[in-house]
Amino acid sequence: MNKDAQEQRLIREAEHATLQMYTRRHFLKEGAMGFGALAFGSLLGSCGFGPSSASNTIFDASNPLAPKPPMFPGKAKSVIYLHMAGAPSQLEMFSYKPELAKLDGQECPQSLLEGKKFAFIRGVPKMLGPQANFRQHGKSGLWLSDNLPHLATVADEIAMLNAVTTDQFNHAPAQLLMHTGSPRLGRPSIGAWVTYGMGSENKNLPGFVVLTSGGNNPDAGKSVWGSGFLPSVYQGVQCRGEGDPVLFIKDPEGMDRDLRKASIEAINKINQKQFEEYQDPEILSRIAQYEMAYKMQISVPEVMNINDEPAYIHEMYGTEPGKTSFANNVLLARKLVEKGVRFVQLFDWGWDTHGTSASGSVDIGLVNKCRSVDKPITALILDLKQRGLLDETLVVWGAEFGRTPMQENREGKDLPFKGRDHHAGAFNMWMAGGGIKGGTSYGETDEIGYDIVNGKTEAFDIQATILNQLGFEHEKLTFESQGRPFRLTDVGGKVITQIVA
Amino acid sequence: MSTLFILLFSLVNFFGSFHPLLVHLPIGILLLAALFEFLSQKEKYKFLASAVNLSLFIGMISAMASCLSGYLLSIEGDYDEGLIFNHQWSGILLAIISIFAWYLNRLGRQISWLTGLMVFLVILTGHFGGSITHGSDYLIKAISAAPEEVAQKRLVVPNVQQAFAYQDIIKPILTSKCYKCHGPDKQKGKLRLDIPDFILKGGKTGKTIIAGNTDESELIRRILLSKESHDHMPPLEQPQLTKTELDLIHWWVGSGADFDKKVADLVQTEKIKLVLASLQSGEKLEKDPVSDIPENEVEQADTKVVQELLARGVAVIPVAMNSNYLSVNFVALDTITDNDLKLLQSLSKQLKWLKIGDTNLDNDKLKYLLKLSSLSRLSIERTAVNDEGIAMLTSLPKLTYLNLVGTSVTAKGLMQLQSLKGLRQIFVYQTAISGKEFSQLNKIFPKAVIDTGGYKLKFLESDTVELKSARVKL
Repeated sequence: MNKDAQEQRLIREAEHATLQMYTRRHFLKEGAMGFGALAFGSLLGSCGFGPSSASNTIFDASNPLAPKPPMFPGKAKSVIYLHMAGAPSQLEMFSYKPELAKLDGQECPQSLLEGKKFAFIRGVPKMLGPQANFRQHGKSGLWLSDNLPHLATVADEIAMLNAVTTDQFNHAPAQLLMHTGSPRLGRPSIGAWVTYGMGSENKNLPGFVVLTSGGNNPDAGKSVWGSGFLPSVYQGVQCRGEGDPVLFIKDPEGMDRDLRKASIEAINKINQKQFEEYQDPEILSRIAQYEMAYKMQISVPEVMNINDEPAYIHEMYGTEPGKTSFANNVLLARKLVEKGVRFVQLFDWGWDTHGTSASGSVDIGLVNKCRSVDKPITALILDLKQRGLLDETLVVWGAEFGRTPMQENREGKDLPFKGRDHHAGAFNMWMAGGGIKGGTSYGETDEIGYDIVNGKTEAFDIQATILNQLGFEHEKLTFESQGRPFRLTDVGGKVITQIVA
Repeated sequence: MSTLFILLFSLVNFFGSFHPLLVHLPIGILLLAALFEFLSQKEKYKFLASAVNLSLFIGMISAMASCLSGYLLSIEGDYDEGLIFNHQWSGILLAIISIFAWYLNRLGRQISWLTGLMVFLVILTGHFGGSITHGSDYLIKAISAAPEEVAQKRLVVPNVQQAFAYQDIIKPILTSKCYKCHGPDKQKGKLRLDIPDFILKGGKTGKTIIAGNTDESELIRRILLSKESHDHMPPLEQPQLTKTELDLIHWWVGSGADFDKKVADLVQTEKIKLVLASLQSGEKLEKDPVSDIPENEVEQADTKVVQELLARGVAVIPVAMNSNYLSVNFVALDTITDNDLKLLQSLSKQLKWLKIGDTNLDNDKLKYLLKLSSLSRLSIERTAVNDEGIAMLTSLPKLTYLNLVGTSVTAKGLMQLQSLKGLRQIFVYQTAISGKEFSQLNKIFPKAVIDTGGYKLKFLESDTVELKSARVKL
């Protein structure tokens, strides 16, 4: 069967299906609703409402992923965001608190507990000293624990944020706040905002790719890389490290590439007709997604293949092709950025060290987790650097919150392992590359790492800084929804100028 | 009850805000009435006498409306009470006089003397009103100040480290940018910034500065707010703080907002040292050297060419929304054609950043790029370009970044670029350049960072060892 005939047949089929629908639903849908809408529309229209052209001027529905300029020349062209889902203990990694060691085993003073809410701690917990040795590294004298021996070698590339804080102490809302600017569902994630602002530099690849490791997706689920009220074309595309990078990316048996092309063209024609009738930009997004999917069938398996990387690169990152691991994802992130992907979001699950099991303890499980990320992250920074990409690639490391200086006492009982409860008050994050001043730090916590002394940094500030590095004023990157412009940083956000080069 | 009050209050606000509009009516109409009255004395304009009464009537009504709206405005606005008093009573007097004038004129009495008084009062009231909105020195400012002082004056402080931080640096900034509304004449928001005690006292919303805490200081918050924000200070229509002035105020508050100490006695970051030094020389701070985008704009690139390249899958993106300078990336293409490169040539004025690595670019194709004289960043990694091609790059005088990763360039080849003094970053990982030649290259490019890559991570036993629990589970 030739291509045109194929197309004609598919269009006929679609028209037929549409007609069938009409027989059942036409009256209700087009009739009653239509009259209602007509009446309501004229009511609104007279009040000066009616369809507004909105301020979403940078959104071109017919080509939503077209590359777009930032507001000012940004230093970073892309972002690799490494999120340790579950919240690692800053007290065993970045936050050097010798005073806490002296308090180890003592009961927590009441003053620290008053008015505070914890996820699991009940009654009066005991203090837990740092379960790692700390040393200073680099010219900047950055304090790092011995759990991160490799990262120590690139200490001077890093800008450490010592006083990050959040108001959410449970994983899902805290992750949502970090990535979407709201602890509730429904807002677009930062990667979606960036893709909305910048489009995709490579027409064959999505602008926003998500890779997960550690055995689970983050607690907040896929909303944490969702597009919220932005057109859905901007949501993160999750790729897998094992098997097909994207599910169902291969053509089914018996379908060749030409037939696939013909069917996608036909579907898009039908969608185009639908768009002409309803003018819903989501339909154009859908068309663009079909086209992108078709191109991705070739480009994604290519870029997601790490088999061809030389042995010394595998050695450097600690990668093993064919597995799903954080290390593999980090290498993939570099490859994606090299190929023009704007935002690569990595989630590594398994950092929730409450002390209920060996793998969930700060002296065993956390050490193993550190070992699984320390080398790949360091390799990423060095590899980007030698490829001339570190300048234009912003690397962000972080989590949704930190952990308490107290030993967790779930239900008021002693736990079998050393662990810490969720702590929203103060934790660490860091950035490197992308126009960030390496060898700097910002913020300070008290001598047990419980409260912030100065340099308070909120999720909004981190988001504002990321957008700033890409060339966006966070207050101006807005999208009209529900009758008002929204922005990632809601009503907050201040660029952390202290760490910007 | 409370909603009624709020409604009432907003109505007061609403009518009050019409005052600046309404006041112009009595000024114009009453002056016109006076003019008619004056002219009607003459034989030639006698017919105007019949217009006097009507214009007096309209002027009188508008004068009363102005008084009422003005009173409402004064309740909710924050104005200097002395100036308000003068303006208010001269305005009320004017309204009363206009009523008399209208009434007497109606009765056919002679009112020339009254209209004279009326004109005088119009001018006086207008002047008082102007003083409230534009400042008491408004009228004489233009004649009294020398022209260079009227233009934005640049703060120059000789021997800056020995100067007094508040007296010599902060106070002059506040004087020129804040006093007009927060000074002796006017205290908008009940805030006065001309005397230390008043600064510390704050305004309507509480303290305006909290010494040593810039995050919590209302003053800092307001001046840092984006210009679109309603709370932004100074208001948009007033002269704005310069970046230097912003930095200085931020630093002064952050270092403890001391009113007596010398600059040298206050904590200084590297950044503020530079800002302070710039005060001493009176020169503008050097522009951020990181940006390689020139300030002067170029003409827009040929849209046809851009469209053609976009259709080929080449990412042609302006470096910023309002800029005509372009960045071009061939990342989606493996094979480039001579035509692509010809198209690029017509963007020579605009093209600043070019990524054309991982393609079939070779020495021959590279020749097309040599006309791109504005180019500052060039990535030709993993292409067939060799020493011969590299030598040609000397015709790109503005080059600051050069990515040669994975090409066959040698140290000798790279040295041919010695004349490119602007080069700051050169990437030569996976090339024929060896570590031994590194020091030699560093001498030739003293200002550039040359990255030979090949980084290795130490082998650590612990990387692959998994810690196990030594304890027995409870």
